[in-house]
Amino acid sequence: MRADSGTRLEEGPPRPPRALPPVPSAIQDDVPLSRPKKKKPRTKNTLASASLEGLAQTAVRRPSESSEPPTKELEEHPEAPVQRRQKKMRPPIELETSFTQKKTSGSSLLQDENNIDGEPAEEAVIQKPRRKTKKTQPAELQYANELGVEDEDIITDEQNSPEQQSIFTAPTGVSQPVGKVFVEKSRRFQAADRSELIKTTENIDVSMDMKPSWTTRDVALSVHRAFRMIGLFSHGFLAGCAVWNIVVIYVLAGEELSNFSNLLQQYKTLVYPFQSLLYLLLSLSTISAFDRIDFAKTSIAIRNFLALDPTALASFLYFTALILSLSQQMASDRIHLYTPSSVNGSLWAAGIEEQILQPWIVVNLVVALLVGLSWLFMSYRPGMDLSEGILEKIV
Amino acid sequence: MLQTSNYSLVLSLQFLLLSYDLFVNSFSELLRMAPVIQLVLFIIQDIAVLFNIIIIFLMFFNTFVFQAGLVNLLFHKFKGTIILTAVYLALSISLHVWVMNLRWKNSNSFVWTDGLQTLFVFQRLAAVLYCYFYKRTAVRLGDPRFYQDSLWLRKEFMQVRR
Repeated sequence: MRADSGTRLEEGPPRPPRALPPVPSAIQDDVPLSRPKKKKPRTKNTLASASLEGLAQTAVRRPSESSEPPTKELEEHPEAPVQRRQKKMRPPIELETSFTQKKTSGSSLLQDENNIDGEPAEEAVIQKPRRKTKKTQPAELQYANELGVEDEDIITDEQNSPEQQSIFTAPTGVSQPVGKVFVEKSRRFQAADRSELIKTTENIDVSMDMKPSWTTRDVALSVHRAFRMIGLFSHGFLAGCAVWNIVVIYVLAGEELSNFSNLLQQYKTLVYPFQSLLYLLLSLSTISAFDRIDFAKTSIAIRNFLALDPTALASFLYFTALILSLSQQMASDRIHLYTPSSVNGSLWAAGIEEQILQPWIVVNLVVALLVGLSWLFMSYRPGMDLSEGILEKIV
Repeated sequence: MLQTSNYSLVLSLQFLLLSYDLFVNSFSELLRMAPVIQLVLFIIQDIAVLFNIIIIFLMFFNTFVFQAGLVNLLFHKFKGTIILTAVYLALSISLHVWVMNLRWKNSNSFVWTDGLQTLFVFQRLAAVLYCYFYKRTAVRLGDPRFYQDSLWLRKEFMQVRR
């Protein structure tokens, strides 16, 4: 802030009014104001009249004006110490938001009157610093936009000659961007370098752009990949289960499948849990295999199957195994409800055991073989996934 | 435009319902200690399928393709899913009604006939296909191209007009 006011002092000679420190309009060098705040109406009047005098004076006094006022003031006014204190206090005071607001309301009134009276550039420029501070308030909210000021607009003017600025020109009241930007930090506006702020806002923009990179397609792809992983697990688990199942059946049935009653008695508690698990794993494996060959695109799937693509073959084998396994539901339920033929109401009449169990064991064996073979086929090309490629490319 | 968070939520719900469906299909025969357990499981399963149908249609309505009036295009792309889901719901309800009707008095009685066995096989096969097609559709509906104007859509539109 001090640096800023310093620059303004330097700017002084060519454009005298700007050289004045950003003080309330009441403390002007030309106007003898002892109690500016108390006598606001009077201030206005004196200002209005003084401004007319100022018209004539400015032309004469301009060259020396900017550098003199601080010292002049000290000499002219009896309350100089007070003013000095005010001046010393000024930079921080000016930073206060509330203070600035209070003053701006007062000064805007003054400015309006001055404008009506055809006030010289001097008065208008005195208002400028206040306007700048005022402008920083909305800029704080959307400073990203405000910061995008072109460098050539910023006043660093040493070159402006007094002749260029006509004294009769009506004050435009338009503020010019400055090199500094005032950012409110802990209830105080502090000057910050514009270029640095632009850098930080750009960084924020970059990070904001990075966020939406996680699109719905990414979600879909990650879900698809997660399911493929589950499928991969189920392929192996299913093959292992099916082999375990057929081994258990053969062990329980005894040598040459001679001990069916033992098999039925032992296996009746296992049949439904295994049947359920087999269906669950077969479903997962079939869906996973279909995913890999993109079964929905029938023509491609059939072409792959005819070309003896291992994955297409595996999915066909899984589907066959599923049908076979499901077709044994009636036999499985019968085994589940097994009671010896001697018991009243038994489903298992004497001699019927072999007739029912023989095909059931064969089907289970075939299912185990199909599932094991499918697993081998799947593991031949474990990375193949046509659905994923389609998800990534075409709708 | 479909929000990622919304899509994730919907996708999770769909997968939850699909998982429940798969679970009931797998273990319903095992969980038949009392007929009422199976009844509740079956009712929730059918409602889950119905919910899934509603969700997928809501997702269709949310697409730019649908809002642009290209209903035919959507139907053409996902007709497999729509038909299979409808068939599966019909098969499920009929199997559930049949099984519950036979097992209501005694859940541990042997009720299987050739007809029931056939229906059972078809229902379970349809369940697998439904699961596959539904999952595929749900995942594909995450494609941002369904939710914005694109060259692809314009090409499809021209094809439909021809």
